[in-house]
Amino acid sequence: MNTIVPAIGFGIVTASILAVAGVGFTLQFGVTNILNLAYGDIMTAAAFVAYLVTSAGLSVWLALVAGAAFGSVFSVLLNRCIYTPFVRRGTRLFGMIIVTIAVSLMVQNGLLAIFGASFFSLKMPHPSSVHIAGMVFTTVQLAIIAIAVVAMLLIHLLLRYTKLGKAMRATAADPDLARNCGIATDRVIDLAWAISGALCGLAGVILVMNVTAFTETTGAQFLIPIVAVAVLGGIGQPYGAMLGALVIGITSEVAAAIFNPEYKDVVAFVILVIVLLARPQGILSEVATRKEVAA
Amino acid sequence: MSDLSAPVLAVQDLHREFGGVHAVNGASFTVPAGRITGLIGPNGAGKSTALNIIAGALKPSAGTVSYQGKDITGLPSYKVARRGIIRTFQLSSEFAALTVLENLLVAAPAQRGEALWQAALGKRYWRPQERATVEHARQLLARFDMSAKEDEYAGNLSGGQKRLLELMRGLMANPALLLLDEPMAGVNPSLARRIEQHLADLVGEGLTMLMIEHELAVVERLCDPVVVMAQGRVISQGTMADIRSDQEVLDAYLIG
Amino acid sequence: MSVAWQFYISTVLIYLGVDVIACWGLNLQFGVAGLVNFAFIIFQAAGAYTAAILTLGRAEPASQGGFQQYVGGAHWPFPLPILAAGLVGGLLAALVSGVTVRRLRSDYEAMVMLVVSLIATSVATNQVGLVNGPNGLALVPKPLSTLVNLSPIDYQWLFVGLTAAICVCVYWVVHIVTSSPLGRTLRAVRDNEQAAAALGKNVTGLRMLAFILGGVIAGISGAVLVEFISAWSPGSWLYPETFVYFTAVIVGGSGNNLGVMVGALHVPVAFLEATRFLPPFGPPGLIDALQWIVVGALALIFLWFWPRGVIPERRRRFPVAAKDEVLVRTGE
Repeated sequence: MNTIVPAIGFGIVTASILAVAGVGFTLQFGVTNILNLAYGDIMTAAAFVAYLVTSAGLSVWLALVAGAAFGSVFSVLLNRCIYTPFVRRGTRLFGMIIVTIAVSLMVQNGLLAIFGASFFSLKMPHPSSVHIAGMVFTTVQLAIIAIAVVAMLLIHLLLRYTKLGKAMRATAADPDLARNCGIATDRVIDLAWAISGALCGLAGVILVMNVTAFTETTGAQFLIPIVAVAVLGGIGQPYGAMLGALVIGITSEVAAAIFNPEYKDVVAFVILVIVLLARPQGILSEVATRKEVAA
Repeated sequence: MSDLSAPVLAVQDLHREFGGVHAVNGASFTVPAGRITGLIGPNGAGKSTALNIIAGALKPSAGTVSYQGKDITGLPSYKVARRGIIRTFQLSSEFAALTVLENLLVAAPAQRGEALWQAALGKRYWRPQERATVEHARQLLARFDMSAKEDEYAGNLSGGQKRLLELMRGLMANPALLLLDEPMAGVNPSLARRIEQHLADLVGEGLTMLMIEHELAVVERLCDPVVVMAQGRVISQGTMADIRSDQEVLDAYLIG
Repeated sequence: MSVAWQFYISTVLIYLGVDVIACWGLNLQFGVAGLVNFAFIIFQAAGAYTAAILTLGRAEPASQGGFQQYVGGAHWPFPLPILAAGLVGGLLAALVSGVTVRRLRSDYEAMVMLVVSLIATSVATNQVGLVNGPNGLALVPKPLSTLVNLSPIDYQWLFVGLTAAICVCVYWVVHIVTSSPLGRTLRAVRDNEQAAAALGKNVTGLRMLAFILGGVIAGISGAVLVEFISAWSPGSWLYPETFVYFTAVIVGGSGNNLGVMVGALHVPVAFLEATRFLPPFGPPGLIDALQWIVVGALALIFLWFWPRGVIPERRRRFPVAAKDEVLVRTGE
């Protein structure tokens, strides 16, 4: 019991990071139908951008903004310059996976070539610990949770109350219909990549804020839990992703505390495989569809 | 010779829902041997769903399908096909990266060389039978005026040619019952007339068919009996003349 | 030719042989049957571990100076470990495909297989008693090394010969499948599984068959590789390796066994080996990183310009039978 409560605390932090990353990923997939396996590496690249900012002596908050901005711009360019041309050329589902993996390899190794094989960390003010309800958090971790909550709120407001948000939800629910109604225009797609890219970048920065050191593979290692979160919540369902993040974040930390910590990632893996085999439309999809219909 | 009075196919009280929508809601009808049975009805009547259930592509939530007196409800589609029920698809479903001739060869039933051990026995084992199958396929191509396209990739055919390929492929499988899902959909009028003629020839040769079709003039010329579905149920069965005078049908349909 | 050159060329030939065998297996799964097996490398790894364990003998306990732990062990002579490796690759493939054969959207299927690959790596690395964890197995005796007494370079050429012989055997298997009605049916399932099922084809059974055969071949490739390099650890079979093989198959021409050979020459061998000639420049690891960038760029370029590969799948034509041939047959 002694190990479980602190593990839940770790789980909440992990869940926060997973939520930001997962919502970005699921929005991307829901609107564009591309399984972007380079997502984790874009997170890492944003983390390196943040690293450059903090190494130059600037504040961490600036680094967060820089990372998010980088993720946003990079994702839009990636879609415009590589993904969309291949799709227009008639590349089918499998070909697109190879394309995203190729991009993933190039980004990851590009980072390796530029920064070298070493361990990096963000320069941050030394954190202090806070005890809440038997769980221990550092101030950095509390900031991460706060950032995640704010980001999720903003996304919620975007999806519910703006035209863009409604367009994105419509496209995720029924892409052909949306296109026929003139909704899924290039502009909506660009904005969808920009927003999900910003979440991707933000997630990359808060990810490395939570570790002692990171390398060029840190983001890619996080990709599978992110996909697990997106699939668990139902592809294209951002609220599902938030729920999925809580489930996977807390379960994997608690499992690591009880069993072998080496297998922490495996928990996410196994959940993903089971969900994909048993219920590929996700846990929440039915709930979400009814809500869409009602709205 | 089979007993012409016993129906080849009997569908009894079929039900099938999709998330609360009753696509098929208690449909029953029979398909007699040696004729083309028409399956008509307004959009959303459940015709395609019923055909998919018969073909084994969907499982019904209730009801039975019997074929030649045996219950085949719920069998997977490949097993239904092996019993002699061959279906065509409404949307082009050719094997795009195979040639037209290869598309036909795939359809031939009970081929030597399809099992691993048979393939291992080598060309000498399966080549002679394949040659005969090739000849049969070529005869079919000639009958449908597609001989020139034999080596063309099926994916490169025009829409109309793909429809013909769909029909030829179904015939190549040596069906005892052919299920046709709108065989003339989206095809230009002259090709539609040709397909209609082919179907008339086939039924003249004794092939049993069940055809979903929208154009009532075609149904009148080719089909006897005709089954009318609306809202998941069968609302009328009989010859076209019987149906034209059925008030329920007139209500369900806007017959021009 | 100097001995050093001979060593280099024979090494390249052996790697080429191993990669060609692996690519033929992957081509059967992906090019012919349309299965997206992103866990391909684990079948090669399973074969490698099997062959290693069956040649190393039982593990010595640490108290007696043993330095690697693993399950089982035997001293089987060549070619038994290689055959066993194929068997294990096939069994593993049967297990994996039996669980995942339900049709998923192809990118979900790809995700599942990728995850299976990661789980396998995690298990192999963390369960040290299984295959000696992260350090892996080493000092695997080379086949026939106790039977023949050859100089190192002569033994190397012997190994080239063995590899070539195994290549011929694998090619025979792959050829009889792809050139027979079975191959045609597999391609039909690849192109449109619903239509194939509607024509009486057992799609699930056919898919499993292709998957298992590919697994057997992958296992054999792993066995040959481990018998040559004498060592095998999780670092040898990380998930990007699968991608290298996929690139080779796509670049060469998926669906075509000859094209796949070209791909195997280009990607794993030619450019990964060729960079060995470059003098090391930049910080350590830079060249490796650049290699991977080139692999990625290569895949994109080829997928763009030649979506069907350098030597695409052959169009199959059938000769017109001479009239008397047909008459004679019908007369029988």
